Amino acid sequence: MQPHVLTIRKRDVTRWLARLLETREVIAPTLGPCGEIVFSEVRAAEQVVWDFENPLPPPKQFLLPQTDPIVRIQVNGHGAQVEPIHDGRQRVLFNVRPCDVKGIAFLTRMHEMEPADASYLRRAENLTVISLACNTPCQLGFCVCSDSGPFLNSGHDIQLTDLGQKYLAEIGSAKGEGSVADAASLFDPATEDEVAQRKKLEAEAKERFGEETCHFASAMRRVSTRRVDDALWERMSDWCLECGACNFICPTCYCFSVKDRGGDGTWTRCRTWDSCQYAAFTLEASGHNPRAQHGERVKRRFFHKVSAQYYVRDGMTGCVGCGRCVKVCLGTTDMPAVVAAIRKGAWHGQ
Amino acid sequence: MLSVPTTCPFCACGCGFFLLGKEGDLVGVAPGESHPVAAGKLCARGWNAHEAPLWGKRVLQPMVRRDGALKAESWTAALDYVASRMRDLIGAGKPVGVLGSARATNEENYLAGRLARAGLQTNSIDFSHHAPCRPLMAGVEDVTGEPFHSTRLTDIETSESIVLVEGDLARTHPRAAASVLKALGKGARLIVIGCARTQMARLASCFVETLPGSEGDAINGLLAAVLRTQEQEGRQAAIPGAGYDALRRDLEAASASDEMRGAAGWIAAAEQAVFLIGPSGGRAERLRSDAASMATLAAISRRPGRPGGGLLLLLGRSNVRGACEMGAAPDRLPGYERIDNAEALQRMQQLWGKPVPADRGLDAQSMLESVSGLIVLADDPAAVLPMGQRARAALERMDFLVVLDAYVTPAVNAAHAVLPIASLAETRGTFTNMEGRLQRVRAATVPPGEARDGWKVLAGLCARFDARCEWSSATDVLREIGEAAPRYSKAVPQVPDDGWGSSLVEEAEWASLALRASPKEALTSPERPYVLALDGASDWGSDPLVAFSPTLSREYQSERKLFPNGLVEMNGADADALGVRSGWKVKLSSAQGGAVVPIRLRKDLQRGVLLAPYGFRDWVAGVLGEDGVAAVNVERA
Repeated sequence: MQPHVLTIRKRDVTRWLARLLETREVIAPTLGPCGEIVFSEVRAAEQVVWDFENPLPPPKQFLLPQTDPIVRIQVNGHGAQVEPIHDGRQRVLFNVRPCDVKGIAFLTRMHEMEPADASYLRRAENLTVISLACNTPCQLGFCVCSDSGPFLNSGHDIQLTDLGQKYLAEIGSAKGEGSVADAASLFDPATEDEVAQRKKLEAEAKERFGEETCHFASAMRRVSTRRVDDALWERMSDWCLECGACNFICPTCYCFSVKDRGGDGTWTRCRTWDSCQYAAFTLEASGHNPRAQHGERVKRRFFHKVSAQYYVRDGMTGCVGCGRCVKVCLGTTDMPAVVAAIRKGAWHGQ
Repeated sequence: MLSVPTTCPFCACGCGFFLLGKEGDLVGVAPGESHPVAAGKLCARGWNAHEAPLWGKRVLQPMVRRDGALKAESWTAALDYVASRMRDLIGAGKPVGVLGSARATNEENYLAGRLARAGLQTNSIDFSHHAPCRPLMAGVEDVTGEPFHSTRLTDIETSESIVLVEGDLARTHPRAAASVLKALGKGARLIVIGCARTQMARLASCFVETLPGSEGDAINGLLAAVLRTQEQEGRQAAIPGAGYDALRRDLEAASASDEMRGAAGWIAAAEQAVFLIGPSGGRAERLRSDAASMATLAAISRRPGRPGGGLLLLLGRSNVRGACEMGAAPDRLPGYERIDNAEALQRMQQLWGKPVPADRGLDAQSMLESVSGLIVLADDPAAVLPMGQRARAALERMDFLVVLDAYVTPAVNAAHAVLPIASLAETRGTFTNMEGRLQRVRAATVPPGEARDGWKVLAGLCARFDARCEWSSATDVLREIGEAAPRYSKAVPQVPDDGWGSSLVEEAEWASLALRASPKEALTSPERPYVLALDGASDWGSDPLVAFSPTLSREYQSERKLFPNGLVEMNGADADALGVRSGWKVKLSSAQGGAVVPIRLRKDLQRGVLLAPYGFRDWVAGVLGEDGVAAVNVERA
């Protein structure tokens, strides 16, 4: 569709949010306990936080919850009754950063592949993502290295940009159109100056990145052509504490396990997060483990994230440069550190 | 979605996270960047902490054993029954006791202690996880006069030298291992003493390979070398009355390799050094002397007037320190005050309005071996105590066993009365981590069935033995702890109601130093050239918080299915020499006895050493006897 660019005055935003709240569940960054900013459901427009660094847990949990009941199973005299659990709520994710929009796009592409995942796709279809471009990149972010920010130029439903008195609203999809339609009177068409201002802000933001960089292209070349020694993966694995945080926090990780809760004839089958870094993730019933060595597990993770094979399948690197793994890694094997090691063929100089 | 800041229930590092709830159910865990310990990082256990309460087999109603089977009972009837049976046993002159728990809150442990001392009039109160940690605390106390010190995990990160007596830090205390990695990234020197090239050993600047049970020799070697370096460089901190002469005499036989002398140079030169030691299998006396040597090493390396640094005991379970400081110990009152401290005893008598016996009570193992009536709080002693399955038999022969737990454990199945309590995701209270951080535990959902807060159940039992208990919340109990434990008097009012709710227990000054080093002992002999030792001093696989978590049990329990007849680990070269392969059986024989067990190869283990994972200790109990380490002969079975 043709790009459609509007503006909304800051003082009108709460009215727009109020309209959205009438028909949908709105998830946005809010001030949570302990003063931390977290994505959560809002009941009033005033709860939405506008000046924030990206929350530590990504909005992935609203598409792929850590514990997700998917099927109810009942065994009675007539056999087993299996009933899928639908989450058909209309949701708006509001003030999501561009990296997280890309993360959701990655997840959706993956779950659309055959066999398509109906449970995920139902949520994705009912989800509208209204993002807020990053005029100031976050301290540990490196989205510019994976084409995931600080501004989006495609793939968004609506992208907001802070222009001072107003927000520029770039409508990028029919779902985006739908979410302004009910409040059309609050929006004005953007002027050429306003569009130019947004371009300028994007260019300026790109100049203001912090120290974290991630040279995916050269790492991809080395990983995809088997030019990374197994010994290097082993060395790196000594700096990983197998916590699984990189998987759980990553906007593009989706590996899961299936577990049943209940008993006495009634069970709920749940999909739960899992981590490829856990030793028993690939443990077979025989006791054989194809990735028993820790280094093999680290290698597997980064092969999926940065190899050319997966880049072709997934359409992008498995990293949106949000920098969250830098914050949560209990060891030191976060994405920028490992990509640098792959590129240099050395970890800590060895 | 409900997001509740709380404290991790697994190890004693005491990380904080947000427990997430939705429509009354737990749904997950989210890291918290602002937590003073976790700072946004969690280990695998923390990330999966919501699973056990959600998936676990739970105790849903009070139950009393009638005609051999546990039958549902009302709360009042069950509590009355417990009180009357215990009173009957006491009346008949039979010994009774109480076990607190390192996986229970401070409030629960405090009330367990009050129930034992003021209610049942016995000092037989202890907790299972105390057994492997107690010798460490005693050793540190021997040297410094204080069992606990205030080294913080963040002190590790700013240290230039780290000495680690290795169990397997990356697995036992991942958060502490993270601090070590951070320090290494900044160029710190890591000195590891151990019998296997573990993850930490591989990263060490100096790995001192020792036989299990001989770690003390390595610590002494290091100690002698540090003393010599300090003397040579003329920078020995002369601590008056500390007993340097006695220490030098203790160290006459100590030997240090060139590598160790180099490591001593790093320690002596460091502005800040930290010393980490945790529980391991082995005789209590040896662990005590090893801990004393480490405390001595920390004491002589400490630079006066410089912040941080020092000694950190790597306590096993989340609330080991809290349980100790709440007085869940047969010879200690709240505040870890000695029972023979008349002033402390009098204070407790005044506070509780009841006489308190002054004689030392029985420890956990002795209680299992000799009491007739036992009240167990949130614990399965057979899964924790070194005596293993012998504890199971002991529980089964009790005249009257009461178990308070959230989960159906083997101890629950053996009980005569079962009182369902809330899990740590459903109750309020506090833990004290190994650094001395008093932190809030909060509920993210309600307990299932008729389960109640543990403190309420214990208060109900206290009420049946001593009238004076007027608590209406866990906070009331905490307030009383502030009065009972002198060291908590400042920390308790400082624990905020909101936010993470964390405050530091008052630091103890090193009262007086009595430097010492442990004596050397020979383990192996030509007839028994191998050393068999327990690997670690706890078994997460049989902890309900792991066993009931689908994700964590997969990690910890899968090997149990593969080795139903036990397991010892050995080096591949030793296996080749014996002509055995992985999965084959070997015959072990020590002075105590013999056993036949399968082996698994472990390439990081040094030659001549066999390790039995703690969870498999029953299979080698006959070989090890009461010790966790023994010289053995090994043959192909």
